[in-house]
Amino acid sequence: MRNVGRSGTVGDAAIASVTVVALCSGAWLLRSAAESEAPPQPSAAQAAADPDHEGSAASALAPSPPDRIRIPSIHVNAPLIGLGLTGSGSLDVPPAQKKNLAGWYEAGTMPGETGTAIVAGHVDNAQGPAVFYDLGALRKDSTIEVDRRDGSTAVFTVDAVEVYAARNFPDDKVYGAAKRPELRVITCGGGYSRTTGYQGNVVVFAHLTAGR
Amino acid sequence: MRRTSRLLTGTALAVVAGTTVATPAFGGDTRSLEVFPSTAVPGAEVTVNTAACGADGSAAGDATAVGGGTFMLAPSAHEQDAIGRFRVPPSAQPGTYEIVAKCSAGRHATVTGDLVVALTAAAAKDPTRPRGSVKTGVGGALGPDPVKTAAGVTALAIAAAGGTWLLHRRARGDGI
Repeated sequence: MRNVGRSGTVGDAAIASVTVVALCSGAWLLRSAAESEAPPQPSAAQAAADPDHEGSAASALAPSPPDRIRIPSIHVNAPLIGLGLTGSGSLDVPPAQKKNLAGWYEAGTMPGETGTAIVAGHVDNAQGPAVFYDLGALRKDSTIEVDRRDGSTAVFTVDAVEVYAARNFPDDKVYGAAKRPELRVITCGGGYSRTTGYQGNVVVFAHLTAGR
Repeated sequence: MRRTSRLLTGTALAVVAGTTVATPAFGGDTRSLEVFPSTAVPGAEVTVNTAACGADGSAAGDATAVGGGTFMLAPSAHEQDAIGRFRVPPSAQPGTYEIVAKCSAGRHATVTGDLVVALTAAAAKDPTRPRGSVKTGVGGALGPDPVKTAAGVTALAIAAAGGTWLLHRRARGDGI
């Protein structure tokens, strides 16, 4: 009888500890499941320090359409498709179901040419993170490479990573003309609301530093 | 004599090439000649490419319509594209011009593409600049992680079962 009681106590203790562990890990799992995966956003330190001139710029490359964008520091390596404009005049986006695909504004400047070339891609789609999920984690002086159809590669260096709200979007700053070869890489960012989606865009500003 | 005949052959070939180039594409490969930028200012350099000539296919380009002369399209590593360049002459007038490329060997395809010449850089470079923000996300990365959620629910179920068992024993008075 005593034996049974002791083994019962040991059993109870085991069950009690399993219960406590299960309770704690269950709570932790549910919490992290709910809060995880928000895409990284740029810090104030990545904002433009001197918007007009930074570092050395390379001279413009001959015009050639881009085929692929690579950002080694955030493991981006994606093909590019041509993009147009939507009915409202905003930049169109690549098909959302292809998670590793970005686009460039075909009617605008080609990356490597003098002017402002524009590349855009999704931060996520219905299935989860997409091509530019980590764009907000990009830092100044990182390298962006654009492979071009003529076999050359345009190498850009990041000047700033900013996040802008959709209302009062700074069109001139993001899309405006530039006197040197520049690149903008855009994805969704800012806060997220269940009803209206992402509140703005993460925009990477870069300029051409080499062609090879 | 030999030289003369070669010269003559060359001229004849050039004439044949010229006439063929001038002839619009007939049947066969209808893929077009891509022109970048499709709108350019006088003096600008323009790149054209086509996949119509197949792998390793080069082509003879003709931009004489806009005064850019003839040029070669060389094969490239990219998707069997042949690529070439020409310069729009500074004297070019605004308008739409047909640029032609004829495959040199293999497939005898002739492809054409349009080049628009605009007088001002603003019109050429920035026909319509995008405006506003870009819709590049739906929040799919933000939803609850289904695997973690399932694991959490399972763990809580185990905890509930354990708790119930212990309470039950305690209520019966035999134990703890």
